[in-house]
Amino acid sequence: MKQEISALMDGELFDDDAEETLDELKRNPDKHEEWQTYHLISDVLRQSENVHANISINIHERLQAEPTILSPRTRASHNARWFALSAAASVMALTLVAWLSVQVGTETAPQIAMQQSNTVRPANLPANGLDDYLMAHQELSPSLNVHGMPTYVSTVASQQEDQ
Amino acid sequence: MQARFSLTVVLYFVAVPAFADIGRQVDLDWPQIIAFAAHQTNYSGTYVYQHDGHMESARITHISDQSGEHEKLESMDGPRRAFIRNNNEVQWYSGDKNAVKVERQYSSKRFPALQPELLSALNENYLIQTAEQARISGFDTQAIVFQPKDSLRYTQKMWAHMDSGLLLKAAVLDERQEIVEQYTFIELKIGGKIERTQVMLGQSDGSLEQQSHSATPPETSEQFETSEWKVAAVPTGFKKIMEKRRLLHGKKTNVIHIVFSDGLAGISVFIETSVNNFKKRLGLSSRGAIHVYRKIKDDYLVTVVGEVPPRTVIQVADSVRQNVH
Repeated sequence: MKQEISALMDGELFDDDAEETLDELKRNPDKHEEWQTYHLISDVLRQSENVHANISINIHERLQAEPTILSPRTRASHNARWFALSAAASVMALTLVAWLSVQVGTETAPQIAMQQSNTVRPANLPANGLDDYLMAHQELSPSLNVHGMPTYVSTVASQQEDQ
Repeated sequence: MQARFSLTVVLYFVAVPAFADIGRQVDLDWPQIIAFAAHQTNYSGTYVYQHDGHMESARITHISDQSGEHEKLESMDGPRRAFIRNNNEVQWYSGDKNAVKVERQYSSKRFPALQPELLSALNENYLIQTAEQARISGFDTQAIVFQPKDSLRYTQKMWAHMDSGLLLKAAVLDERQEIVEQYTFIELKIGGKIERTQVMLGQSDGSLEQQSHSATPPETSEQFETSEWKVAAVPTGFKKIMEKRRLLHGKKTNVIHIVFSDGLAGISVFIETSVNNFKKRLGLSSRGAIHVYRKIKDDYLVTVVGEVPPRTVIQVADSVRQNVH
């Protein structure tokens, strides 16, 4: 049932199933709690601004409607369950946020940094000024051993670009 | 029984090499063969160099004889430029056909062949695998891929001539497997009689107008001088292969030059006093797979050059420290 409610909220049910679930909800008032809880979870996860307002209104309404003397025990346990559920949702949300931030911290950020530094289009090398360094580098670079003279091609090539 | 055994042995030696060619991790043979061929083969040809959306062609002639190695590399597009190397001496000419002048002259103390420690470094830092066999410029080649074990260096793919080991094509790929630079021979003659005079530009046609024979700059010290400088964040696998003070042409002051190698890529760190250098362009610049990063560190100008991705030269430049005694 929980899965169906969740799926219904996400619009993932076929029409037939959706109607069935809605009927089920109508028939079982205690399922309304689940319905609300899932909406709460959804609100918390999506960080809606009025989440807390909704909670307090609900609580307020409940307190108003509460016949305190007649059935205190069941109501209490009901509320406890309700709070437990909302707490669970908050914890879930917190965990999700924490997890996301950890992810950002350890993986995404370096990747972004990597991409930035690799996709930055550096200026073309100016011909004068750096060629000395290029030559000095290339004569000692192992690529000269592997490639031979074509290593110098980049130095030759540069001259043309600049003229 | 004996016959069956020997048949098995024969089959093994026939079949295994046939199947083992593609995709297997190669031993150190190919890098050695390639390095040997680059120096020992006589060849002459034209190749195309592609980088940063540009394409240009150059002509190369290489002769190896009793007197050593002689090479000429000449641009085919635009103004005339050429490198001529006779063993350790490199000359750089530029100008049109009527006025060719020596721009630079270098004494190149290069290593005669891949040194054993560089070869083992190569194997530590790269996964070396054979790839497809391809026909390039009319020759059959074997492709070899050098896949780095981290993203601080480039992937290199080389196509070596099956018979001689000469590289007919080479590509540098980034971590997204996009080509950073590439050169390919489009016409090539390997072996046979290659005209010697072709190599000696200027001296044969007499068009050399001016040759500024300032002798090659004296190297002021030995290959391994330890300076007070330390490069803290060289990527794993790069080893220091040289450190010395040297004069770069046009420089009045000495420059400290430290070279690191991982067997395939090189990183050079140049450190000099930054007096009068503030006009120089700082930051990142690049050409194909070569990236340069310059920054001012205290009173010094640090220049890092390498066939490595931009962030590697930046990382290296940022980690240069002066040892405090």
